[in-house]
Amino acid sequence: MTTAKKPTRASKSSTKKSATSRKPVTKKKPSKSASSKSNPRTWKQRCWSWCWRLSIIFILVLGTWLVYLDAQVRSQFDGNKWTLPAKVYARPLSLYPGLLLSAEQLKSELLWNDYKAVSHVVIPGTYGRDGQDWIIYRRAFSFADRNEAAVKVRLSFSAGRIAELSVAGKSEGLVRIEPQYIGGIFPAHHEDRELITLQDVPPALIAALIAVEDRAYFEHYGISIRGILRAMKANVAAGRTVQGGSTLTQQLVKNFFLTNERSLRRKVKEAFMALLLELHYSKEEIIQAYLNEVYLGQAGRRSIHGIALASRFYFAKNVQQLDLSEIALLVGMVKGPSYYNPFRKPDRARARRDVVLNVMAELNIISAAERINAQGQPIQVAKSGRAGQREYPAFIQLVKRQLQTDYRLQDLQNTGLRIFTTLDPWLQHATEKSVQQHVENLEKRAGFSKPTLEAAAVVTSVDGAEVRAIVGSRRVRYFGFNRALDAQRSIGSLAKPAVYLTALASGRYDWSSIVDDKAVSVAGQDGSLWQPKNYDKKDHGKVFMVDAMAKSYNQATARLGMKVGIGQVVETFERLGIEKFIPPYPSILLGSLSMSPLEVTQMFQTYASGGFAMKPRVIQALTTHDNQVLTSYAVEGRQAYSPELIENLRYGLQQVVVQGTGKRLARTFNTTKIAAKTGTSDEQRDAWFAGFDDRHLGVVWVGRDDNKPMPFTGASGALPIWQNIFKQSGLEPLTPLVDLDWAWVNAYGQPVEEDCGGIRKMPFNSGSLSGREISCDQQKAFSGPQVDSIEKEKQGGSSWFDWLF
Amino acid sequence: MVRLVVLVLFISILTACSSVPSGLKHDPKSQQSYEIQNKDSHDFIQQDDILRLDEGKHHPAVQVLLTQAEDARQQGLPLQALSYIDRARQIQPRNSAIFYRQAWLNYQLGELQQVQQLLQRARLFLRSSNDSYEILQRRIKTLQKKVDAKRGY
Repeated sequence: MTTAKKPTRASKSSTKKSATSRKPVTKKKPSKSASSKSNPRTWKQRCWSWCWRLSIIFILVLGTWLVYLDAQVRSQFDGNKWTLPAKVYARPLSLYPGLLLSAEQLKSELLWNDYKAVSHVVIPGTYGRDGQDWIIYRRAFSFADRNEAAVKVRLSFSAGRIAELSVAGKSEGLVRIEPQYIGGIFPAHHEDRELITLQDVPPALIAALIAVEDRAYFEHYGISIRGILRAMKANVAAGRTVQGGSTLTQQLVKNFFLTNERSLRRKVKEAFMALLLELHYSKEEIIQAYLNEVYLGQAGRRSIHGIALASRFYFAKNVQQLDLSEIALLVGMVKGPSYYNPFRKPDRARARRDVVLNVMAELNIISAAERINAQGQPIQVAKSGRAGQREYPAFIQLVKRQLQTDYRLQDLQNTGLRIFTTLDPWLQHATEKSVQQHVENLEKRAGFSKPTLEAAAVVTSVDGAEVRAIVGSRRVRYFGFNRALDAQRSIGSLAKPAVYLTALASGRYDWSSIVDDKAVSVAGQDGSLWQPKNYDKKDHGKVFMVDAMAKSYNQATARLGMKVGIGQVVETFERLGIEKFIPPYPSILLGSLSMSPLEVTQMFQTYASGGFAMKPRVIQALTTHDNQVLTSYAVEGRQAYSPELIENLRYGLQQVVVQGTGKRLARTFNTTKIAAKTGTSDEQRDAWFAGFDDRHLGVVWVGRDDNKPMPFTGASGALPIWQNIFKQSGLEPLTPLVDLDWAWVNAYGQPVEEDCGGIRKMPFNSGSLSGREISCDQQKAFSGPQVDSIEKEKQGGSSWFDWLF
Repeated sequence: MVRLVVLVLFISILTACSSVPSGLKHDPKSQQSYEIQNKDSHDFIQQDDILRLDEGKHHPAVQVLLTQAEDARQQGLPLQALSYIDRARQIQPRNSAIFYRQAWLNYQLGELQQVQQLLQRARLFLRSSNDSYEILQRRIKTLQKKVDAKRGY
C-alpha cells in the first residue's frame, strides 16, 4: 500500500521547473536582465537562498558567541567570584588583672569598635557600666590564633587598674576584645566587601529586595518580558526613564561581568548572559551573589559592596542584627547609593525607606503595624567618623611595605588575607589629635595665612618596637606622600646622642669629661671650611660633656665628634640600625644627614630598649581568609650595645629634660625620668623631637614640604606634639635597666670622695671608678687640669682632628 | 603555753613578711615569674632545663598565654607557640622568664643566633630579688652552654 505524500518545498520547486522546461524553446536567447524581469521566482529563490545562508551563518556566529559567553559566565561565576582585599586589624585590647587602663580609654575603644552602651547587656556588641564595674558582651571573633565565642565579661576597676576579671562568673586571667578593622589593602578598583551566605541573611531583607527590585524573580529565566513592557509603559507615560526593566539577574550580570556602558550591544549581551546564568545556577545562588556584589556606597577611595559590609558600614551591625527600618533603608539604597546616602541625605533616605516599607506591607511581607512602627523610626546610622569607617593611611602603607618583602602585592590585594597588626587605636587617636591641633596652633603663631606646615610622628613600644601609632601628614586620612616613611629630612641635633655614645663607648670619656665649646673650623677636601656655631651664637667655654649634650652645644659636639673620629660615629649609626650609606663628613656630627621619622625611630629604639636593636614592627600575624596562619611574628633583634653603656647614655638624654632643651617636659609631667632630644636643622627647616618613657618611644617631625625655614625649633615646634601624645596616653617614668656607679665630681670632672668638694653627682660604668676617685687630701692639693688639656682623656690617642689644629 | 604563744606569733610574723603586698599583686609590671624546679627529675642537667613552657608561677594573664603556648608546642606548632610567648612579653615586657622561654623555643627551631640575643635579654631582666633567680639563672646558663656547644665554641 502506498500513501500520498505532501510535496515538499523542494519537490514543488522541481515540479515547477520541469513544467517550465516543457515550454517551446525560443530562438533568441533572452538577456540576463530580461530573464530576471521575466522570471521573478528565480529572484525570490535567490533571496531565500541568501537568507538561508545568512541565517545559518548568523546561527553559527550566535552559537559561537553564546558558547563564548557561556564559558565566560561559568568561569567567572564558579569558584572565587571576587577579589577580596586584605583586611587589616589593630591590636586586640587585652584585658587582665593589673592592667593600667583608664575608663575613658576603655569606653572609647568599645565605641570605636561599634559596641553600644545599654542598660541591659544581653546581646554581643553591647556593654554596660555601673561605677567601677563593667559588663562587656564580647562578640565572637576569629583571632589569628583561635576562634573565640561571644562571652559576657565582667570587670571591676580599682585605682586605675583592672582589679577583677571574670567570664560567666569564673575568674579569668586574660580576655581579648576583638580588634578594630582599620583598613584594607585594595586592588586598583578599591572594591571592598564582606562575603555572606544566604542562610545568614534575614528573610525579610531578601523578600524586600525581590519585592522592590524584581517581583517576578522566581518566575522568569533571567529576563522578564513583562517587566520590560511594564517599564516601557511607565517610561512612556512619564516621558522619561522612571523605571528599569532589568531583572535582579540582569543587574547582577551588569555589575559582575559588564560595564555601565549604555548601548544596545551591552544590553543584548546582558540579556543572553542572564539567560545563561539562570541556565546553570539556581535562584538561590544568583541572589546570594547579588547580595555580595551590589554596590552600596563610597567611603573615600573605598567602595562598599555587598550587604554585609554595608550593614557594618552604615549601622555598625551584623546583617542579622538589622531591624526592619534598617533593612528597608539598605534595600532602598540599591536604587542609588549616593542619592539616598543616609549620612549626607537623611531626608531622601527616609523617604526611600518608607517607599520600601510600603511595598513590603502591600505585598504582605510585613503587617501594617510593623510598617507603621518602622516608618516611625528616625534614620539612625552609625557615626561616620568612627574607627570602623576611618582609615589609617600612613599605618596601612607601612603594613603593605613590610608585607611586600614576603608576599606579592596581588596576593595582598586579592586573596582576602587577614592582617593582625600592632596599631594601638588609643595612641593613634592621641597622635592624630596632637598633630592636627598643634600644627594649626603653630601656623597661627607664625601668621601663616594658609596651610604651610607639615608634620609626621611615629610611636613605638620601648621593649618590642611594635609601631603603636603613625601619622604621615597633618591630613591624617590622606593617602599620599607618607612623611613618616619617606620624607628625608636633616635630623639636626638628633644625631648628637650617637656622637656621645661613640665617646662613651670609646672608654675615654665619661659624662663628667670636660669638653670645650669654642669656635671650631674644619677644612674640607675641596678647601671649604665647616664652621658650626651654637644656636645662641655664643661660646660656652669648658663644660661637662653631659651639659654639652643636654644643652645641645654644636661647637662642643663637633669638637668631641672630631676627637672620637667620624668613622667611629658612622659606625655607631650603623650599629644603631641605620642601613643607608652615611657619608663620613664632619657635618654629620651635627645632623646634616637626612633621615625619615621612621629611621630616626629605629635609631632611638636602640637607646630606648637598652641597646637591643630592633626594626619597628607592625605585623603580629597573617592569616588566610579562612584563618589558616601564614606567619606570626615575635620580637627579634640584636644586642648592639651593652645595656650598661646605653643606661649611661640614657642619663645624658634625661639631662635634656632636667636642665636642657626639654625642660618643659619636667614641669608638665612632674618628673625628670624621661629621656629625650630635640633637633633643629640649619636655618630651622626641620623641627624634631624624640623621647621615651618606660613604655613608649615617640618621634615627631615638623617642617615645610618646600623645605623653607620656619620660625620654630625642635623644642617649640615638635616637643609640644610629643607632650600632648604622652599626656593622653599616660606617661610612665623611666626605670633603670642596670645599676651604674655614681660619684661626685669636682669642677674638673674628676670623681671625688663624698663631701670632698664635689659639685655634681654623675654616673659611671660600674667598676670604672675604682682607683680614680680623688681623696679629700688629694682634692685640697689639686690645682686643676693644665690649660691645654681640653678634653679629659683617660687614655691617649689622637685623631686626624688633632693635626688639623 | 608561753612557748606555744611565742611560736604562733613567730610564725604569724614570718607569714606576714613573706606575703606580697596587695597593691603589687595586680601590677603586671612589678611581677616576675617564679620558675619551679622539676622535682621528679634526678638528672642535674634536666633540673636546669625547662620541660614545659607553662612551668612555674606567673601573672594570671601570662599563665594563660604560656599554657596556650605549651598546647601549641605539643601540637607541633612552634610558631604559634612563639606568638603566644610574644603576647605574654607584651604584657610583661621585662620578664626574664618569658625571654628565656622564647629563647628555648627558638633553640628548638634551630635559630641559634636569635637564642643568643634573647638569652642576653633574659639575663638583663633577671633580678636577684626574683624568688626563682637561681633556677632561672641556671636554666639560662644551661641553654647558653647548649647553644655554645652547637655553635662550636
